[in-house]
Amino acid sequence: MSSESGKKRKPKVIRSDGAPAEGKRNRSDTEQEGKYYSEEAEVDLRDPGRDYELYKYTCQELQRLMAEIQDLKSRGGKDVAIEIEERRIQSCVHFMTLKKLNRLAHIRLKKGRDQTHEAKQKVDAYHLQLQNLLYEVMHLQKEITKCLEFKSKHEEIDLVSLEEFYKEAPPDISKAEVTMGDPHQQTLARLDWELEQRKRLAEKYRECLSNKEKILKEIEVKKEYLSSLQPRLNSIMQASLPVQEYLFMPFDQAHKQYETARHLPPPLYVLFVQATAYGQACAHMKSSQPPRQDKTLSVAIEGSVDEAKALFKPPEDSQDDESDSDAEEEQTTKRRRPTLGVQLDDKRKEMLKRHPLSVMLDLKCKDDSVLHLTFYYLMNLNIMTVKAKVTTATELITPISAGDLLSPDSVLSCLYPGDHGKKTPNPANQYQFDKVGILTLSDYVLELGHPYLWVQKLGGLHFPKEQPQQTVIADHSLSASHMETTMKLLKTRVQSRLALHKQFASLEHGIVPVTSDCQYLFPAKVVSHLVKWVTIAHEDYMELHFTKDIVDAGLAGDTNLYYMALIERGTAKLQAAVVLNPGYSSIPPIFQLCLNWKGEKTNSNDDNIRAMEGEVNVCYKELCGPWPSHQLLTNQLQRLCVLLDVYLETESHDDSVEGPKEFPQEKMCLRLFRGPSRMKPFKYNHPQGFFSHR
Amino acid sequence: MERAVPLVVPLGQTEVFQALQRLHMTIFSQSVSPCGKFLAAGNNYGQIAIFSLSAALSSEAKEESKKPVVTFQAHDGPVYSMVSTDRHLLSAGDGEVKAWLWAEMLKKGCKELWRRQPPYRTSLEVPEINALLLVPKENSLILAGGDCQLHTMDLETGTFTRVLRGHTDYIHCLALRERSPEVLSGGEDGAVRLWDLRTAKEVQTIEVYKHEECSRPHNGRWIGCLATDSDWMVCGGGPALTLWHLRSSTPTTVFPIRAPQKHVTFYQDLVLTAAGNSCRVDVFTNLGYRAFSLSF
Repeated sequence: MSSESGKKRKPKVIRSDGAPAEGKRNRSDTEQEGKYYSEEAEVDLRDPGRDYELYKYTCQELQRLMAEIQDLKSRGGKDVAIEIEERRIQSCVHFMTLKKLNRLAHIRLKKGRDQTHEAKQKVDAYHLQLQNLLYEVMHLQKEITKCLEFKSKHEEIDLVSLEEFYKEAPPDISKAEVTMGDPHQQTLARLDWELEQRKRLAEKYRECLSNKEKILKEIEVKKEYLSSLQPRLNSIMQASLPVQEYLFMPFDQAHKQYETARHLPPPLYVLFVQATAYGQACAHMKSSQPPRQDKTLSVAIEGSVDEAKALFKPPEDSQDDESDSDAEEEQTTKRRRPTLGVQLDDKRKEMLKRHPLSVMLDLKCKDDSVLHLTFYYLMNLNIMTVKAKVTTATELITPISAGDLLSPDSVLSCLYPGDHGKKTPNPANQYQFDKVGILTLSDYVLELGHPYLWVQKLGGLHFPKEQPQQTVIADHSLSASHMETTMKLLKTRVQSRLALHKQFASLEHGIVPVTSDCQYLFPAKVVSHLVKWVTIAHEDYMELHFTKDIVDAGLAGDTNLYYMALIERGTAKLQAAVVLNPGYSSIPPIFQLCLNWKGEKTNSNDDNIRAMEGEVNVCYKELCGPWPSHQLLTNQLQRLCVLLDVYLETESHDDSVEGPKEFPQEKMCLRLFRGPSRMKPFKYNHPQGFFSHR
Repeated sequence: MERAVPLVVPLGQTEVFQALQRLHMTIFSQSVSPCGKFLAAGNNYGQIAIFSLSAALSSEAKEESKKPVVTFQAHDGPVYSMVSTDRHLLSAGDGEVKAWLWAEMLKKGCKELWRRQPPYRTSLEVPEINALLLVPKENSLILAGGDCQLHTMDLETGTFTRVLRGHTDYIHCLALRERSPEVLSGGEDGAVRLWDLRTAKEVQTIEVYKHEECSRPHNGRWIGCLATDSDWMVCGGGPALTLWHLRSSTPTTVFPIRAPQKHVTFYQDLVLTAAGNSCRVDVFTNLGYRAFSLSF
């Protein structure tokens, strides 16, 4: 019943429509705050679903009415208009309904929106609160963590360990009862104790500083005192000079020598110091003499100190000199150019220059003969050389054959085996020599002296072969370790040479000088005699046909001295070629024999000659005589005479040759031949006086 | 023409002495060890040196292989003769025989096992022993030397069993004729005498110097070396080295060697001989070809 409902509604509508104009005004006056439309109150009361149904019904009615109107209009007629009008009024009412419904719908919507908005606002407010709270929570958490992580400075201090703290701290600080339980209190107590300690230490530090200041001041005072002492001591020394001379204690002289020694080059200085020390040590050991008077070894420095000082002139002076001399030189070169050879010669002279100072050693032997040694230092080559001279207490008449024995050139040759002093011991010198065209130092040894190895060692210079060193420095310990042996060897060398000197004089006259304490080595009657004793040259020795074995064994070098002795008996002539090693008498002379009697017999064709050589060469120790065995050579010569006697007398008589034996047997021999080699009896037995075999 | 100068090495006292010793050394005797690897040599200073033949003869032999393995002082006088049994080396020189164990000798400081001296007539001078001969069948040793007699010593007991007299001058050398058994001895008196060991009597005498083919009066009449091959004998010394036929006592071949021979031995069909008067032992591997020398 749409029309009814419409009607029903209509009044509502009309009422509401009719009233709104007034109601609106009234209500707007009275209910201004809450509602503008009266439908607002209605909205809460009506059911939206029924409204929706109403809406659908109204739309249907409208559609129907419109359709009827359409029909009526299309039919036409008179009462149509009334019908139409009726229907028009109904549709208008429906329109009103629709409008109301529309208004209701809008109001509902608006309400709904408002409610949602409100709720939303509330929610937003809560949300905001929540955010705030969360933010605060976070903040607080951060603060908490910060607080928890806080490291107070007190933790950076290294406190003493707990046990130490309890041990050391006084009880009022440590408060053991309180602190044991409470770690906070404990830490506080420890910090307290730390503070205490630091205060005490700071006190101590201040005290020490003040002490130090005091002591420094004292040192200053003492230094001044000492420096004032030096000039006073000097004056005392001066004053004591006359006393020194009176007491024969020439300190001053020694002092002056030490002063000069300061200008010596290092190797010469080492030699000087070590030699003086050795000399003093030897003098001390001889207690029978008054001290320091017995000088078996005296050391002196010779040469010009000024020149030595001049070597180390400051550079400006020398440059000035050089420029002057350069100017002069230029002038001279313009006039006349020196030849290349002269230039080279100058370079050589420069290279071989000697230091202006030299050390002189005088070795005195028991028989008052003196060995004078002068040591030089070659600056550019860094080696030392020595020149030697022997002087005797009485004037020596030199026999012809003894010419080389004491000659300065060869008297010190081979003091140690192989040390011939003809080559420079410093391997670096070879390169320097190549630059200036010097082949070998041996050409210059006559004027420069011999660079023996022992001389280098006495100067502390050591040139190792395996690792050539850049700079060789003079070493005191090397010199000290070689000093004693070298001095002893030098003395033995001089004495043996002098002994040989005397013996040669006698040998040249055909007499073999056998001393009385060596007579027991030989029988009373010796018939063979020495006829000749001469020196021969090294080349001549090498050319002899019976010396080949010695040469091949490397025993005949050019440092040895060579002699020829001739022993005769009747028609038999025995030639003996002698090799005298410079190390006589520790190294024995070596004999090689050649016998001319019924043919030529040497060690290559006659075993007995070989045995005779063995008797003097190998069994020489029996012939040494009393130490220092200067009798060795003469005893060997005498034994050769005895051996020749035995040989000649024991020669078996050849039946095919007529005539008596030239040499009747006088020596007492037990057997003439022995052993598979059928040797003659060459061994002399003392005191029985017979000959036997070895 | 200039002679090449050998390098002169700086020599101290000991090196000079050793060089001189070597120059005047004579090796008198030698013996090969039972195993064949070592050679013992005795010299005039009384020293015995043992050389290792296996090292010296090997293909990698150096200079040191030719030096002795060990050297020791064996006797006071020269070691004139040596002979080896299967375990011992017997050496003799100045009047006594010493025995050494081959196994012990290579160690330093070895001592002799025993020493024996044959009963000599004279006591003024101790005669030398020039020759030693082993007689394996009776296990005995024959010694001969300066007292002109041959002594036989039993190797087990060490007693001297026989004395063979007949030479008028000292004996140089001995040789054994296995088949008979006979011993030949040559001496300074110029005679080679044959002795029968069972009867201890002289069986045959050959006076070599009386035969013109081989005698050389200027050298003397002494017989220095002897070797026998049962029917044949070689001997030499003052007279020339000659090969003899024993049964007929006639000389068959005279060897043209000038120097008096000191050692000779038969080896298979060759004759090896040496006339050394130096410190070298010459090893001949073939007749006339000298391979190398061993030096003290």
